[in-house]
Amino acid sequence: MRSFVRLLDSNPGVAAPLIVTLLMIGVSVAVSKHVLNRLEETQSAHFRQLTGAYLDGLSTALHPYVLRRDPWEAFDALDRARSRYSGLKSQAVLVILTDGKILAASQPKAFPLYSTPPPEAGDTTGEPHLDHASGQVWVHRVLRDGGIEIGRIAALIDIKTLQEVRHETLATLVRFNAALTVIFAVLGWLLVRRAMQPVVRLSDHLALSTGGRLEPIAEIDLPPPDTVVGRAYRRFNAAAVAASDREALLQRLADEERRALIGRYASAMAHEVNNPLGGMMNAVRMIQRHGDNAEQRASAAMVLERGLAGIHNVVRASLMTWRGEADSSPLTAADIEDIRYLIHNEASRRGLELSWIVTSRVPTGIAAQPVRQIALNLLLNACAASAAGQVVRFETRHEGACFVISVCDEGPGMPEAARRTLMSDPAHASSGTGGLGLWSVNRIATALGAMISIEGPPGTCVTVGIPLECATHPEMTIARA
Amino acid sequence: MDPCRPFSRRRLLLAGLGGAGLAAAPELVLRAAERDVLLFGLTPVFLTSDLALLDGLRRYLEQKTGRSVQLVLRRTYQEITSLLVSRQLDAAWICGYPFVAFRNDLSLLAVPVWRGDTRYQSYLIAHDDVPAENLAGLRGTVHAFSDPDSNSGYLVTRAALLSLSATPAAFFRHTFFTYGHRNVIRAVSVGMAGSGSVDGYVFEVLREAEPDLLRSVRVVQGSEWLGFPPVACPAAAAASQVTQDLRLALLGMADSELGRQVLSLLRLDGFKLESPELFDGIADQVRFVQAAAQ
Repeated sequence: MRSFVRLLDSNPGVAAPLIVTLLMIGVSVAVSKHVLNRLEETQSAHFRQLTGAYLDGLSTALHPYVLRRDPWEAFDALDRARSRYSGLKSQAVLVILTDGKILAASQPKAFPLYSTPPPEAGDTTGEPHLDHASGQVWVHRVLRDGGIEIGRIAALIDIKTLQEVRHETLATLVRFNAALTVIFAVLGWLLVRRAMQPVVRLSDHLALSTGGRLEPIAEIDLPPPDTVVGRAYRRFNAAAVAASDREALLQRLADEERRALIGRYASAMAHEVNNPLGGMMNAVRMIQRHGDNAEQRASAAMVLERGLAGIHNVVRASLMTWRGEADSSPLTAADIEDIRYLIHNEASRRGLELSWIVTSRVPTGIAAQPVRQIALNLLLNACAASAAGQVVRFETRHEGACFVISVCDEGPGMPEAARRTLMSDPAHASSGTGGLGLWSVNRIATALGAMISIEGPPGTCVTVGIPLECATHPEMTIARA
Repeated sequence: MDPCRPFSRRRLLLAGLGGAGLAAAPELVLRAAERDVLLFGLTPVFLTSDLALLDGLRRYLEQKTGRSVQLVLRRTYQEITSLLVSRQLDAAWICGYPFVAFRNDLSLLAVPVWRGDTRYQSYLIAHDDVPAENLAGLRGTVHAFSDPDSNSGYLVTRAALLSLSATPAAFFRHTFFTYGHRNVIRAVSVGMAGSGSVDGYVFEVLREAEPDLLRSVRVVQGSEWLGFPPVACPAAAAASQVTQDLRLALLGMADSELGRQVLSLLRLDGFKLESPELFDGIADQVRFVQAAAQ
């Protein structure tokens, strides 16, 4: 039954005609059985009436001859009756005396005078069965005179015609019901196919939208709006337009957030560049004033070198982070270190202590871009949630078959809206209230097949477990901070 | 009734009273002289089942006698004989056996002429399945007789068996009476009886009229030639006008068209006067049987 329901769900175009066929077969069997039973009852009643009249007539004619034990007159009566009951195919009629001997028979050569009748002719019990395999049945009538039995009549009746009628009726029923079953099965298949057409079309359109965009059904293909299908198609189109609007809105929000981030990073970068610039300017002035002093010149050159190295690191990290969406290069230890450079300024600005623990080697099978996006967004979120003097902890490690990134803070705990943004299905999660960064983490993690868990309060500890077998995934290109 | 018991007046009168009770017309109980209709009895010595023949015979007799004629049919010879003896019939076509048995009460009116002779034979017939060449070969068969008062349909075979020191009950497996020569042939034809005793004249007529009926029947042996079943009248009425008119009608049957048609249906040449001695052969057999019964 369960498999049948599964078939009905998976392929109604086959299941529905199958149901119709099975129902028709059931109805056919029930109807055929009822018709045959009624036919048998009618035939039996008719047969009883006919044989009753036949035996009544014979009894009346034979009574005086049986009483006188006159074989010739008994035979003559049987012979005359032969042509008077054409509706009954009598094969043989025996007049049997009480001593069990035949007084007369319609077939004298087969049943000689005063011989013993065959055993079948002696069974007077029960009703004759019209389905007897031989196609012949014996019927009986006891002859009495003054209540005393004087003999009996046994008639062998041919019932092949009755059986042929029943067989022909059965064959007709089978042929007719089979034809009806086939017709209804085909009609059922056509009707279900027609009824399922809108569903199939909607399904096809939904299948085309796996790229995240629903394609509305062309206006020319829409049925009239006052039909069920027409209303369904229009609702689908409305949903497609709404989804498209929502997608555009999200895209716009993401762009704005990105621009805001770029601004913040540009500010941070300027700050990072500005810090060594003061020392570098002092070094330049030292060279200008004491350039002839080799020791001071060398000291100034070292300051310049460190400053330039710091600027170089910041620029390189920024380039690595923002080099473009098409970057699918594998994750390296330098990428993790770049994240440290990028977040260092933000942590310093907020007066936070940054704890950086990288306990295992960096796996090579994971793309760098989505990992950097996840880590950077979580670290920015943790910095934003922390008060001055608190610690933001970043940790990478291996757990089983996963590369785990863990970002913890000592803030008040992640708000419920932010939790939903991070944990819900990104297709349905709203980025408006929970932050676009967390929504991006959710999207990227979902695309990677990563697991996200949140601990706290106190504090917040977000852990993302990225499966190691997740190689550079094409869908990583959709991940944007 | 024991068919082996010879005729007796008391037995016949009892049967006659019964026969009178079965009569179709109330005038039958009146003596012939007391009514206007001529009552002519018929027995199965010929094909009484042929309605066209009966109608032709009645019309011919009415035409020639100038009287209304009623043909009286009964199932057995005994019934007709008793009606005739008791003068409830003017005349009857009876068998030679009852004529001999009531010789003193009956008078010979005319005798049919068949194939130029006033004599006929009794046939012993058998079904094709019975390989008998004579009477002895029929031992153990089921035998059909015509009538216990029939010469050819009973008496001849009974006498023949006596000559073999046998009786029907001992010689045959079973016997029964069909009360008609045609019925004897039917019984043998369908296999109800293996053999039968039948009037040779009736058999020969049926051989022409109903050959299908005789398809599986053959004649085993014929008897000696005996007096043909005669037309008789009560002896007391032999000189009456009715009797004279009837005799003339019978003797002149070949002289009229209607009479010839009747004779043609009967396959007879005509009727003629004969002396009672014609039936001495039958009388001898009657005496032979009666002697054996005593």
